[in-house]
Amino acid sequence: MAIVEQEPLALPAGEPSRSARPLGVFSRPRNTTGLKNWLTSVDHKKIGIMYGVASLFFLLWGGVPALLIRLQLARPNQGLLSGDAYNQIFTMHGTVMVFLVVMPMGAAFANYLLPLQIGARDVAFPRINAFSFWVFLAGGIMLNTSWFLGGGPDGGWFNYAPNNGIAYSPGIGIDFWNVALMIAGFGSLTGAVNLITTVLNMRAPGMTWMRLPVFTWMTLVTQFLLLFAIPVLTVAQLLLLFDRRFDGNFFNVAQGADPLLWQHLFWIFGHPEVYLMILPAFGIVSEVIPAFARKPIFGYPFMVFSGIAIGFMGWGVWAHHMFVSGIGPLSVTAFAVATMFIAVPTGVKVLNWMATLWGGKLILNTAMLFSIGLVTQFTLGGLSGVSHAIAPADTQQTDTYYIVAHFHYVLFGGALFGFYSGLYFWWPKAFGYKLNEKIGKWNFWTMVLGFNLTFGPMHILGLQGMPRRMQTYDTSQGFNTWNMWATIGSFILAFATLSILYNALVSYLGWRRAGRPNPGPDPWDARSLEWSIQSPTPEHNFDVTPTVTSLDDWWYHKYQEDENGVLRRVASSKELAQPGNGEGVHLPAPSYWPIIVAFSLPIIGYGLIFSLWLCIPGVFLLLAAMYGWSLEPADDLDQDHHSEPEPELAQTHG
Amino acid sequence: MQLVKSRTKWLAGAGGLPVGLLLAGCADETKPLNTFNPQGPRAELIDNLIQPIFLIAAVIGVAVVGGAIVLTIKNRVKPDDFDPDDFPAQTHGNPTLEWGWTAAPAVLLAGISVFTVFAIWDLEETNAPGGGIAGGGELDVMVIGQQWWWEYRYDVDGDGFFEDVNGNGVLNTTDEWDPADAEWPLEIALDDDDVSVANEMVIPAGEQIDLSITSRDVIHSFWIPRLNGKRDAVPGRVHSWNFVADTPGEYTGWCTEYCGLSHARMRMNVIALERDEFNRWLANQSRVADIPSEDTEAAAGRQIFQQQCASCHIIWEEGIGQDALYGRDFEAALTAKAAPNLTHFATRSVMAGAIYSTFVGLDANTNDLQPGNRNDRYLDEYLELPSFIPEENDQLGELRWNRPQLKRWIKNAPSQKDMAPEDLRGMPAFPGLTDSELDQLIAYLATLD
Repeated sequence: MAIVEQEPLALPAGEPSRSARPLGVFSRPRNTTGLKNWLTSVDHKKIGIMYGVASLFFLLWGGVPALLIRLQLARPNQGLLSGDAYNQIFTMHGTVMVFLVVMPMGAAFANYLLPLQIGARDVAFPRINAFSFWVFLAGGIMLNTSWFLGGGPDGGWFNYAPNNGIAYSPGIGIDFWNVALMIAGFGSLTGAVNLITTVLNMRAPGMTWMRLPVFTWMTLVTQFLLLFAIPVLTVAQLLLLFDRRFDGNFFNVAQGADPLLWQHLFWIFGHPEVYLMILPAFGIVSEVIPAFARKPIFGYPFMVFSGIAIGFMGWGVWAHHMFVSGIGPLSVTAFAVATMFIAVPTGVKVLNWMATLWGGKLILNTAMLFSIGLVTQFTLGGLSGVSHAIAPADTQQTDTYYIVAHFHYVLFGGALFGFYSGLYFWWPKAFGYKLNEKIGKWNFWTMVLGFNLTFGPMHILGLQGMPRRMQTYDTSQGFNTWNMWATIGSFILAFATLSILYNALVSYLGWRRAGRPNPGPDPWDARSLEWSIQSPTPEHNFDVTPTVTSLDDWWYHKYQEDENGVLRRVASSKELAQPGNGEGVHLPAPSYWPIIVAFSLPIIGYGLIFSLWLCIPGVFLLLAAMYGWSLEPADDLDQDHHSEPEPELAQTHG
Repeated sequence: MQLVKSRTKWLAGAGGLPVGLLLAGCADETKPLNTFNPQGPRAELIDNLIQPIFLIAAVIGVAVVGGAIVLTIKNRVKPDDFDPDDFPAQTHGNPTLEWGWTAAPAVLLAGISVFTVFAIWDLEETNAPGGGIAGGGELDVMVIGQQWWWEYRYDVDGDGFFEDVNGNGVLNTTDEWDPADAEWPLEIALDDDDVSVANEMVIPAGEQIDLSITSRDVIHSFWIPRLNGKRDAVPGRVHSWNFVADTPGEYTGWCTEYCGLSHARMRMNVIALERDEFNRWLANQSRVADIPSEDTEAAAGRQIFQQQCASCHIIWEEGIGQDALYGRDFEAALTAKAAPNLTHFATRSVMAGAIYSTFVGLDANTNDLQPGNRNDRYLDEYLELPSFIPEENDQLGELRWNRPQLKRWIKNAPSQKDMAPEDLRGMPAFPGLTDSELDQLIAYLATLD
């Protein structure tokens, strides 16, 4: 059923102003600065920044368990962590890093950049965007409160049945995992719908599909993966919730269940999940490398279609996590071959990045170094990934440290290196100052060193037979030396990971001391639309919606290229950039409701875990907040970005 | 330019170094779980498949990573030389080239996948029931994982059944049988003529062992890396698997599917013996336990066992019908109620989920016990082990009954291995047992040869 909005968010064409404020149950919040504004903002940039801050926080938070794991495994037969504590800690490390770091980090870049890259004022559903963030945060906080309310989940991030059942995990940790991730999943789902709609409907005139920046393309593919993958996990979690809370029998072997059902559901979610974690980083690298090689991305159509191919093929490889589960030789054959061939589009991307480097004039700043770091380290992770596709060999490799090495090479060496590259690249666009290059290079090189020292030896350990999820080992197994190296590496890596925060602080203070010089709209001489507006991005994004005439439109406003590929500067960024005058631009107003709806959900969640009575106030709050949301005045003319008094406003708009 | 060249060479060397280290590390045969040290045809088939693929991957890895590094160094512009108006040639792509590097890896992978698919089906045929050696191997063993140890049931009478005494939960190795017919969780019981051992599987070398792998609680994974890849033990399912150990020896393995609290302490041992030695071992295992003569320390220990231990552990004795032993209430059996059958405990070289050696060598110099470092002669004298169980043996260099560890274990097992006896998962502590009672109990266990 279509809901006809009586008061559209944007005023219809030809109607410059309205004299009366629309009425509603509450008026919208009016703050444009301060804490209250951050809590109620529907600005995609603020939401993107909050996603980034939250995921960086969780990166540190999830890094602490990682260091504890490495300390415990540094030497054989250590007693730093008991088996119980170790199991909780590795479970939370994996869960936090996947759901609360890599996924929201991708969402941070998507939120901030996607509207800017397609020339839009905001996302399609600004309030839902705020809801997506807050519900992710609510789920993330709820998950971590398990530490204080009876112990963390101990089933592993994959949480296999029947070990996740009440009989084998009688504590409430698994319930937290289950319910909190379901709640956080709503955020991914609504975010996906929102960003897909944004790209489909809100591209600037002339921004055809084959003119979309590669980052936008990869993010779009990511959102489709989220849209279809998250519900599968939610279904599995709902079944588990019934099993654990209401004596269901979905995974009860004694009642005829097959525990492989969980594995299939989890990995049908879990493998697309892997690709939706890496594709945003692929997108970032595809923006950074051309900018600093100072030539276009090599083979744009191949980059786009290989990303789409990965998106499709990502659905057909899930059972390669189950080669030893007993799925039968036909399934093993099919999934082994499918898994092998997903390396093809990924390989195309790597070779196209290298071809972009070929003949370039490379500016090796920190952003570029991190991108090249991704290209090299992800390649190693990709190659070890191909060796898992050799199903017979995988029966030796699976559930050993070889796998741990593999997925850290693709997720840390891949995704996180890409994200760091993106942080260094877009930092001036978001905050108005560049990060320090000297510290940045320290950041990069210590990260490369620490990363390879931590995860490189794990290849060897795995092939020497060290299983995963092992609280300890004996001297007689011969794992001592490389474990010690990995632990040393992990502390270097922790230092490197933290140094971006140090860099942000030092750079900020230096910038403030220097009188806050503006880096200009286009500090890197880059290619896509976000560089055609001032830095930091004005609240209204574009003064005038740009009209796009080619791929890398902004670049070709600055330069003309003849048929031999020789460039000639026609204008400078400063001359061309939009001045940042938002007069006449109407923006969606802030709202209280997204955060209230979001935080009503954990109340219901705690109710499902502790006492169903608690669900009653939770549901009441949820319904009340949804009611308020739907009756909120669709717009409040007081609340454009100027916040000027009402009578004058009508005139300025005229 | 010279600098660039020498640096490139150095980098190529640096790229090769980790690969070299990797291969060197893997070839080290002192690692008991090394996946590159196949000792049986199944593991060999896997090894032969993956070795060349690793080599191809290493070449590609060095080429791509090295290539990216070389390109980076070659094409970089130093900040001082940067000219904002100096641009490289603006190449947008080259479809021919790109189709080429789409097709080339696809062709390479297609080639690899042919070998992979053949290997999958080879292994499937050999690992299927009755696969491998025509008509299946000589020995059928049921492998049952549980938190946190492995039970091995031998189909000694060769009837293809591993059935329990009540006729419930019949498990067999024939094709017609459906795991759905069995009652789960599996009761601990077995065919009258079969034997059940824990933690350590003894097999004849050079012969195919047909395994039927299942689980009594959560999912585990059975893995002896030097003999074959791993196979999950899934409750409600029975997976066929097999292996051959080419030569007599000891082969270790770990549970490799995360199975909860003590996953790290669920290991396994396979001892391969010559066939005639194996026959002697099997004949011995098929015996019921001797009842110690009255008024000995062991007889007192037997009484304590019956009071304290027999609700979970079984010792099979003459004159006690199996029904009497198995007739207890295993309905609530999560896991702990199904504890190892101890009828021949003293012949096992490992205990407690194969994390402790039952026998240890004495260091000839320090006279200290050395758990985990079994005497080299152990295998040669495997069948003679009962003679190594001393009341008091002060000879240096001898194998010794690991009495201190055994005592700690019986007194307070959860302090030695993470378990949850309060949830019926694992062995509880017995704080009430006095030192002399522990001695008596151990004296009794030592008679279980």
